[in-house]
Amino acid sequence: MSAGRRFAIYWKGSRMFRAGFVIMSAVILFVLLGMLFTPYPPTAMDEGAKLSGFSAKHLLGTDHLGRDLLSRLLSGAGTTLFIAIGTIFIGAVTGSLLGAFCGYFGGTADEIIMRIVDALFAFPSILLALLFVSLFGSGRYHVILALGIAFVPSFARTVRGEFLREKGRDYVTNAKLHGVGDLRIMFFHILPNTLDVLLSAVLIGFNNAVLAEAGLSFLGIGVQPPDASLGRMLSESQQYLFRAPMTTFLPGILLVLMILGFSLTGEGVRESER
Amino acid sequence: MNAEAPILTVEDLQIDFHDHQIPETAVYDFDLSIRAGEIVGIVGESGAGKSLSALAIAGLLKRHSAVKQGRIHFEGQDLLHCERETLRGFQGDEISVIFQEPMSSLDPLMRIGPQVEESLTVHHPEIGSAERKERAMEALASVGLSDSKRIYESYPHELSGGMRQRVMIAAAMIAKPQILIADEPTTALDVTVQAQIVALLKKINAEQGTAILFISHDLSLVRQLCRRVVVMKDGRIVEEGDTETVFLRPSHDYTKELIAAIPRVEKKGTAGRPSLPETQERGRRPILRVSGLDAGYGRGRQILHDISFELYPGEILGLAGESGSGKSTLAKAVLGLVGVTSGIVEKHDLMPAMVFQDPYGSLNPARTIEWILTEALTKGRAGRFPGGRQTLRQRAAEALAQVELPESFLERRPSELSGGQRQRVAIAEALIGRPNLLIADEPVSALDVTVQAQIIALLEKLRRETGVTILLIAHDLRVIYRVCDRVLIMRDGRIVEQGDVERIYFDPQESYTGELLAAAGITG
Repeated sequence: MSAGRRFAIYWKGSRMFRAGFVIMSAVILFVLLGMLFTPYPPTAMDEGAKLSGFSAKHLLGTDHLGRDLLSRLLSGAGTTLFIAIGTIFIGAVTGSLLGAFCGYFGGTADEIIMRIVDALFAFPSILLALLFVSLFGSGRYHVILALGIAFVPSFARTVRGEFLREKGRDYVTNAKLHGVGDLRIMFFHILPNTLDVLLSAVLIGFNNAVLAEAGLSFLGIGVQPPDASLGRMLSESQQYLFRAPMTTFLPGILLVLMILGFSLTGEGVRESER
Repeated sequence: MNAEAPILTVEDLQIDFHDHQIPETAVYDFDLSIRAGEIVGIVGESGAGKSLSALAIAGLLKRHSAVKQGRIHFEGQDLLHCERETLRGFQGDEISVIFQEPMSSLDPLMRIGPQVEESLTVHHPEIGSAERKERAMEALASVGLSDSKRIYESYPHELSGGMRQRVMIAAAMIAKPQILIADEPTTALDVTVQAQIVALLKKINAEQGTAILFISHDLSLVRQLCRRVVVMKDGRIVEEGDTETVFLRPSHDYTKELIAAIPRVEKKGTAGRPSLPETQERGRRPILRVSGLDAGYGRGRQILHDISFELYPGEILGLAGESGSGKSTLAKAVLGLVGVTSGIVEKHDLMPAMVFQDPYGSLNPARTIEWILTEALTKGRAGRFPGGRQTLRQRAAEALAQVELPESFLERRPSELSGGQRQRVAIAEALIGRPNLLIADEPVSALDVTVQAQIIALLEKLRRETGVTILLIAHDLRVIYRVCDRVLIMRDGRIVEQGDVERIYFDPQESYTGELLAAAGITG
């Protein structure tokens, strides 16, 4: 099915998909805008206006160091999204490859790899990420690597299950009878049939990645000051929750919208597939 | 009660589905009346609405999207418009149902006894447990389960498919219902077991006077069992009447088509078939010679024992037997997909291709027909096909033309095709690399009877035109008779008998072959 037709089916078939897609698009537009333009540099401090409310000069006010909140939101949302996408990219590609090989070939290698994956799965991914960050050091690229590795197990499991199921189907036997090579069978015959499941796994994994980034930054081992990310902003503003609630409220809302948009879209896809 | 007055009448039953924006009508103007002790058959192809009508009568069509109109009268009640409680009072007591799949219609975690007793427990709580057990034992014995004590204590997984269906019938009959609705009760069973179940239904009808509404796509079964038959197509009744009259003098075109689609087994001698007689075959070199083959899945799971046969170029060899007899395993052994323990498989320039039973599984659902066809041509052993994309597309279109499908199908995906069309594409895909052996594993058993006839005719045509050798695996002996030159009869992984189809069908040497033929209603 072409991407356009697939989209049309989801759009028509699921209210959740429609709502999710609208929210997701709005968030992505906001992030794209942030990449092109911010009213002030996100780290520039205005000494005269700390924790100010909404004003013409600072549309959404400022934080405790007098930095423009709108500018920090625009740039911080981008950072969070970038880390989440990078995380999912690493997790999905590595996890899918592992899962595909394990599911398709089976045997001892599968047994060993899946036991390791099971062991990793037993820890919450944020805990694993903590471990890896302490090994690699902090900063956005290290966070992506750490979270990416922490996300491998869930993708490996999902994709392995799909491959296990699909490899027994007649179209695969038929391809083997025609003498089609294993790699081609895996990636040209079976993989397209797992895309639906993979897509919703990516969208749901994405939410976890956003939360994990926010969590790490909140704990102070993710994105480092003075850079902005949604988690970082929440962490910095918590002391001023009562004096300037908007400094907590706005990044929080943005985080919620980001997750809501992607998870509704993912659920919508799942719903239409049933 | 007056024997002539109907016990159940259905008038103007209409069933609509509101799943999609546009309501779909699945059953129109369905009228039916059943008299006490009568056996009425409903036949039709999948999607004809026969099961839906029966479920509506039993009050089991509970999907909220289904809207039912009309009247169903039973014992002075309109079952379509009565309270749920009233309906429940009839279900399992006066009206019982048995389903197609005996594997899933019994609760796997419950012993057989309580399941058989259930409708007594629900509808006649006044009956004590000792008497209930006695009645259950009787019911089990009356459906031919002589070891009723052991069966009573068993779990469903300890019984065979045929035994489970007998248990279902016992459970349905225990409260002595007036009507038994049997929805394809034999479809999932082997042919010899099918015959036993049909005989059992006949016996129950004769001894207890229970009326039976028998739903089936198998016309020969309906003819054996039913006195009156209703033919359905696309949600409508197209013909109704006395079974023999309908079979001998069908008045509706669709009924004629259905009856013509049943492959006939009538002695036609060598004149009727385009094949070469056995003696002439012997002079030719076989493309495949199997001798003393033992094979199976790993240690301790040997399935095939001492298999020997030859396959000659251009012939259609049938492989018949019940499920579990090793037919598909033999095909896999020929293709090298299962381990051969001992014996010889001699292949002479063999280029095999395969057609599977389920065309829903054998075509990659994520790809277009063009991709599927050209993939077989370029990426496989036949590989490195010379020529660009245009030539490839042309070859794919030719392959479709060979199976009588238009070129426009190249753009489509398997999900957009009907079962018969998919099977045609699967055959095109198998033949596109120009193999000399086509192994067809139950290629028509998942299809409706009229579509079956078309696919069989197609296979015959392709053999004529391309000279491809075909190994046809089928449990349907009529299909085998229609197309095959020779046949192997298999049982428990061994070949029981092999030879010319005419000889095997009209002069079987082994008693098992005779049993199989008799069970399929073919008598030599």
